[in-house]
Amino acid sequence: MRRFASDRDFRAGFVAMLPACIGIAPFGLVCGVGAAAAGASALGALGLSAIVFSGAAQILAVQLLAAGSPLAVIVLTCFVAGLRFLIYSAAMAPYLRPLPARWQNGLAFLLTDQAFAASVRRFDAGGDPRGGGLFFFGGGFALWTSWQVTNVVGYFLGNLIPAGWSLDFAVPLCFIALVAPHFRSYPTITAALVAAFAVIAFAGLPMKLNLIVAGVIGIAAGTLADFARERWIPR
Amino acid sequence: MDTTLKLWAVIVIVGTLNYLSRLSFIALFADRHVPALLGRAFRYVPAAMLTALVVPMVVALPLGPIGPSAPKIAAALVAGVVAFVSHSQLKTLGSGMVTLWALEALAQRFG
Repeated sequence: MRRFASDRDFRAGFVAMLPACIGIAPFGLVCGVGAAAAGASALGALGLSAIVFSGAAQILAVQLLAAGSPLAVIVLTCFVAGLRFLIYSAAMAPYLRPLPARWQNGLAFLLTDQAFAASVRRFDAGGDPRGGGLFFFGGGFALWTSWQVTNVVGYFLGNLIPAGWSLDFAVPLCFIALVAPHFRSYPTITAALVAAFAVIAFAGLPMKLNLIVAGVIGIAAGTLADFARERWIPR
Repeated sequence: MDTTLKLWAVIVIVGTLNYLSRLSFIALFADRHVPALLGRAFRYVPAAMLTALVVPMVVALPLGPIGPSAPKIAAALVAGVVAFVSHSQLKTLGSGMVTLWALEALAQRFG
């Protein structure tokens, strides 16, 4: 680790990620609180945040666990929520291709919404692939470490946070920060609006299955809108 | 199945699936061509999935009277505009939380 700590690109990536680390800190606390509420042991809570390393999957997993949902439903819901990693993976692939396999395998683990957003900007700015990889590693390392700290703090001290602060609301705000900047094309807006209506319309489904159903319907609507735009709107 | 065992099963299975999703195009299918339809559908996964996650956290479901959710809906809309304009996670978080706190204080005072 010391070898990296003195690297210029690693440090730049680390520092560039600090605002995002602060931004997701409340989310990490909420995940820790949720794990405690679901009856997870301290080691189980840490295992969840350290290995799964995805706020959306963690919050869904602990809510479904607390509700006594079957394992298959929890796994399916978390998997569908994690499908967006496929997109990030596809988008990052060209930048990581020049790096050795060992680096690709390691950096893939650190691929998150925030690391993706920060690193694509850095890779697009140019420079050597190795520097970009180290920048990504620095940012991913900062995010992973701060995520573990906030999850553990939430697990042990979450009950000290006053309910009046509505800390839970930080979770949707983190997702809004990720998704709203993309509302610049009709198909994207269509996908989001249809998913929003569908998740409300199918709220009667058990075990939060409305999330998966709405996600799939929203993706289909966005894809159809994309085809429609191509067909009817001349460029 | 008891909760501890189930939690560890979730950690191992979801952890593995998440990692494979992250690794997919970087290493696993690095040399494969993505079918055009799938590539197009992929573009809309974040917008659809993240919105589906956000809505139930803002609006109480199943849908009842909108009144109790109103401060959260307003705060989410303010945060959405701030995110769209600023692209800043911290500004989005700050504006959303402050709006919610202000509206909840007002609701308590006059509601």
